[in-house]
Amino acid sequence: MRYVIIGAGTAGLEAARTIRKEDGSAGITVISADTYVHSRCMLHKYIAGERDEEQLDFTEENFWDKFDINWMKGVKVCAVRPEEKVIVLETGEKVSYDRLLLANGADSFIPPVGELRRASNVFGLRNLSDAQAIVKEAGHAEQVLVIGSGLVGLDAAYGLLERGKKITIVEMAPQILPVQLDAHAAGAYQKLFEDAGVRFILGRKASEAVCGSDGKIHKVTLDNGEEIPCDLVIVAAGVRPSSAYLEGSGIACERGVTVDTHMQTNVPHIYAAGDITGLSGIWPNATDQGRVAGKNICGITEMYTDTYAAKNTINFFGLVTLCVGRIREEEGDQILIKEDRSQYKRAILREGKIEGILLQGDISNSGTWQYLIKNKTDISSIQKDIFSISYADFYHIDETGRYQWTGTGKM
Amino acid sequence: MNQCFGCNTCKSADKPLEGYIAGLPLETSHHRVENQSTKCAFGLQGVCCRLCANGPCRISPEAPRGICGADADTIVARNFLRAVASGSGCYIHIVENTARNVKNVAKTKGDIKGVDALDRLASIFGIEEADVYKRAEAVAEAVLKDLYLPEYEKMKLTEKMAYGPRYARWKELGILPGGAKSEVFHGVVKCSTNLNSDPVNMLLDCLKLGISTGIYGLVLTNLLNDIVLGEPEIRFAPVGLRVIDPDYINIMITGHQHSMFTFLQDRLTDADIVEKAKKAGAKGFKLVGCTCVGQDLQLRGAHYTEIFDGHAGNNYTSEAILATGGIDAVISEFNCTLPGIEPICDELRIKQICIDNVAKKANAELKEFDFENRPAVTEEIISEVIEAYVARRGSVPLHLMREHGYDNTLTGVSEVSLKQFLGGSWKPLIDLIVTGDIKGVAGVVGCSNLTAGGHDVLTVDLVKELIAKDIIVLTAGCSSGGIENCGLMTPEAAQLAGPKLRAVCEKLGIPPVLNFGPCLAIGRLEIVATELAEELGVDLPQLPLVLSAAQWLEEQALADGCYGLALGLPLHLGLPPFVTGSKTAVQVLTEDMKQLTGGQVIINGDAKESADILEKIVMEKRHGLNI
Amino acid sequence: MKRIMIDYEKCDGCKNCSAACMQAHRKTEGTIYDLDLTDPENESRNFILKDQGGNYRPLFCRHCTEPECVKSCMSGALKKDPESGHVFYDENRCGSCFMCVMNCPFGVLKPDRVTKSKVIKCDFCVNAGGEPSCVSSCPKKAIFVEEVQE
Repeated sequence: MRYVIIGAGTAGLEAARTIRKEDGSAGITVISADTYVHSRCMLHKYIAGERDEEQLDFTEENFWDKFDINWMKGVKVCAVRPEEKVIVLETGEKVSYDRLLLANGADSFIPPVGELRRASNVFGLRNLSDAQAIVKEAGHAEQVLVIGSGLVGLDAAYGLLERGKKITIVEMAPQILPVQLDAHAAGAYQKLFEDAGVRFILGRKASEAVCGSDGKIHKVTLDNGEEIPCDLVIVAAGVRPSSAYLEGSGIACERGVTVDTHMQTNVPHIYAAGDITGLSGIWPNATDQGRVAGKNICGITEMYTDTYAAKNTINFFGLVTLCVGRIREEEGDQILIKEDRSQYKRAILREGKIEGILLQGDISNSGTWQYLIKNKTDISSIQKDIFSISYADFYHIDETGRYQWTGTGKM
Repeated sequence: MNQCFGCNTCKSADKPLEGYIAGLPLETSHHRVENQSTKCAFGLQGVCCRLCANGPCRISPEAPRGICGADADTIVARNFLRAVASGSGCYIHIVENTARNVKNVAKTKGDIKGVDALDRLASIFGIEEADVYKRAEAVAEAVLKDLYLPEYEKMKLTEKMAYGPRYARWKELGILPGGAKSEVFHGVVKCSTNLNSDPVNMLLDCLKLGISTGIYGLVLTNLLNDIVLGEPEIRFAPVGLRVIDPDYINIMITGHQHSMFTFLQDRLTDADIVEKAKKAGAKGFKLVGCTCVGQDLQLRGAHYTEIFDGHAGNNYTSEAILATGGIDAVISEFNCTLPGIEPICDELRIKQICIDNVAKKANAELKEFDFENRPAVTEEIISEVIEAYVARRGSVPLHLMREHGYDNTLTGVSEVSLKQFLGGSWKPLIDLIVTGDIKGVAGVVGCSNLTAGGHDVLTVDLVKELIAKDIIVLTAGCSSGGIENCGLMTPEAAQLAGPKLRAVCEKLGIPPVLNFGPCLAIGRLEIVATELAEELGVDLPQLPLVLSAAQWLEEQALADGCYGLALGLPLHLGLPPFVTGSKTAVQVLTEDMKQLTGGQVIINGDAKESADILEKIVMEKRHGLNI
Repeated sequence: MKRIMIDYEKCDGCKNCSAACMQAHRKTEGTIYDLDLTDPENESRNFILKDQGGNYRPLFCRHCTEPECVKSCMSGALKKDPESGHVFYDENRCGSCFMCVMNCPFGVLKPDRVTKSKVIKCDFCVNAGGEPSCVSSCPKKAIFVEEVQE
């Protein structure tokens, strides 16, 4: 059986790992545009100069040999032909498969503002190639404009601060990290970045950007007319599943490649996992999708059930935050807040269930919250301060020593 | 499967004893070590506080203070002071009873066996009474008067008893003790809930308690006992389980208060009592020594050859002594009477009698020693012991160990007998030290425990290391019991000494380890040290002398240790006294003490390393004296 | 694989396991006597929690069959060792994102107290002889190692 996996991110490689476990004699090929296996979550460390390409690798030592996987790196796929069971590479070469997994992720979305898409000094931050380009451009840039203050925007800023750049961040929302945090918790990060020299412009968006004769943007005009001088622009306005090459293949796409709970596409023997599905942009979810896809590809039925994606951890300047579930307050919510000089905790409760948690400063032993939120566990019978609820309240051990869930937490 | 109670007994330096205990069908403390081997880390470091209802509070990185706000330093110092105060209380109880006994003997014109001892003490105290009884009474009264002074009045005899330079230093430090009993009271008040929180202030109190404990509880207890019980005389005696003679009605004695046994021990050799024993089927009565009171009888054994069979072993040998089946009764008056002997006594139908209610054992009969009624109480005790003998002998199997121990163990060493042995002067000893034939002196003192490597393991190994370095060892306490049962107090042990010390020992026919007897005799060691210092015209901290309570066990040992520190001596401990959780306490005890008194605590559980450290200190002191 | 089994009814909350864990992972040489119990750098990898009834509930890493922490690790710092079955953490690879902390459903993991750059994670004491220190320190034998089927 020939398995071909497009993409060397966590979804693709977890699938490869799973396939190898299930099928010792399988021929497994991974095809990626990337030339280094790298963790996107650590690209800021590359920009900051803290790690080199090799140090971004997230796989075990000798991964390719150990799992006997053929890796075609630096190769783009330009088409999939299910009727021939082949994929076509940019080089014109064809690679045939018995089973195919689409796991090549997503691309940065550069909004159609002025000439942002055209300019040579405007980058997203998605792949190592983006980070490499940013570092190169930063070599002769002084002023950096970051559009978007989500995690990617702040990652970029964090990395470039290490390189001594003057950074301005423009954010449409009235606060930074609007998807992840409430205004109060976001304010703590804003202050840390400001103390490090970053300027934030909130509640504004870029409305015009014109390339100079050198093909670069030297200033961006905001919707209030303010002009921000810059010689490097990072656009952190989200990603789009990288599915353009599938056009005409008959593989159904909506936001991303459409999959069923087995991670299978509408076309037999073709599966998809990770960001290309548009299901979530969260690393653990992508890994799990890869694992489930790998199982199903090998004929072992397994469902992708742990779809919960409203979760994040943030760590800048040693200030750590965990946020799971809903952040925005809705009518009828009970909001509980505890705050002291070393931590801020906020919980959203509704009908005896916790719908959102935000912990800033101390996130020790907080993993249980995700479980309670995603499983909509009723905690109303626990006579305890909400923030001291822990796994102890659902404690049970099976005969092999594994923790199980009991009481109100029972599934 | 066999009859052994359990095969996981702890190690003992005394290998035959280790094998004997491992083979017993009874549970002993040696069996319990393993199941108690998991120690609470917070307790070990002394950072668990149970002084109030908010507790127990334990210091950890996330909780650096107890609920009240006490930090590790305060908690450790409070716990330590509490232990030292308790330990001091024990010794002060002993000296109080001892002095009362001397007073009563004197008042009733009883037997004054040590007139020389009385005269020496009277002269130190400045008491001039022509009549020997009045003199003895005045001496005892002077001690009692001091003990009962309030805390705010300094004891009068401290200055008379202490070495001049030491007294001056103590005065300077403000640690001269008030009434010894009141000092214990003061100490326990100080370390109660939400009172003192100053670790250094509390540690200085420990030194003060050390001084009252040392001068009164140790030194004066010995000297007072010498008056009525007779002075130690150097001789050879048997030790170990071999001393138990099953032909006699055997009474094992445990405790620290020799004076409480005198009437009984005299009575047991009276013809009418021996006749009673014979009627019961025995040849007579014998006392079998165990713990420190056994050491005391051994020390003064020259006066009691008829009744005293010999010293069988230390505190953690007591169960084995009973397990021989040859003991018919235990008479105890103080520690270290282990609670663990109770089930063994039940099993082997051994009668337990306590003669001091501070040490009342759960299944013992309390027959309080009462000077006025002692003839009646003694008769009661004797008839009960005979009853026990008759009931048990023949039905309880004997499991003797006649080959255990040694016959020719040197004993009877005291500050007086040793000096006499040297020809009435310390000069020969000083000369040997100056020439380097004896590199230095180590007092290996205190208790025996089961956790510093096992029963007497660290003590015995350390002694071997020290004598191999030509350092002569003087012992006192349960450590002596272990060391002598391992043969280190026979003249043959000279072979284990370094070449120079060996030559000295062989010439004099003495072992390289000299036994001063019970832990109380730590006071005697310190008299020797003081007299050496006087002779040399230096202060105590300058002497090439070190102390080790390698296997300290009890709170009393901590009070003793504080006396050693007050004297300015280096004090080695095999296990830390639950203080290491406090950086301040550790700093004060191991470093700052050098400036305060000249003393220092050294904590090391390895015999070789410890011996190296102590040797280094001895060499530094020698260097300081230009020898 | 070998797992630390928990007989939680026996737990007295003495926290000797936590002290032993700190001792096993301290940076300086020394004995339990001189383990600095006030140094925030000394951290335990196990925790004694209490449920609402005040019962002690020991929290020890299970080295799960399908470890959520490993799934969530974006740096490759957390790996399940195929031979021993234990989940090991390589602090040199760790990107300090703490997604593992968020993803462990039992809340076993935490960021280090002082630098907030490492994860505090049970290593089964592989560098201290392989017998977990917590287990040997438990006076009640409430925790013990057993071979279990994954």
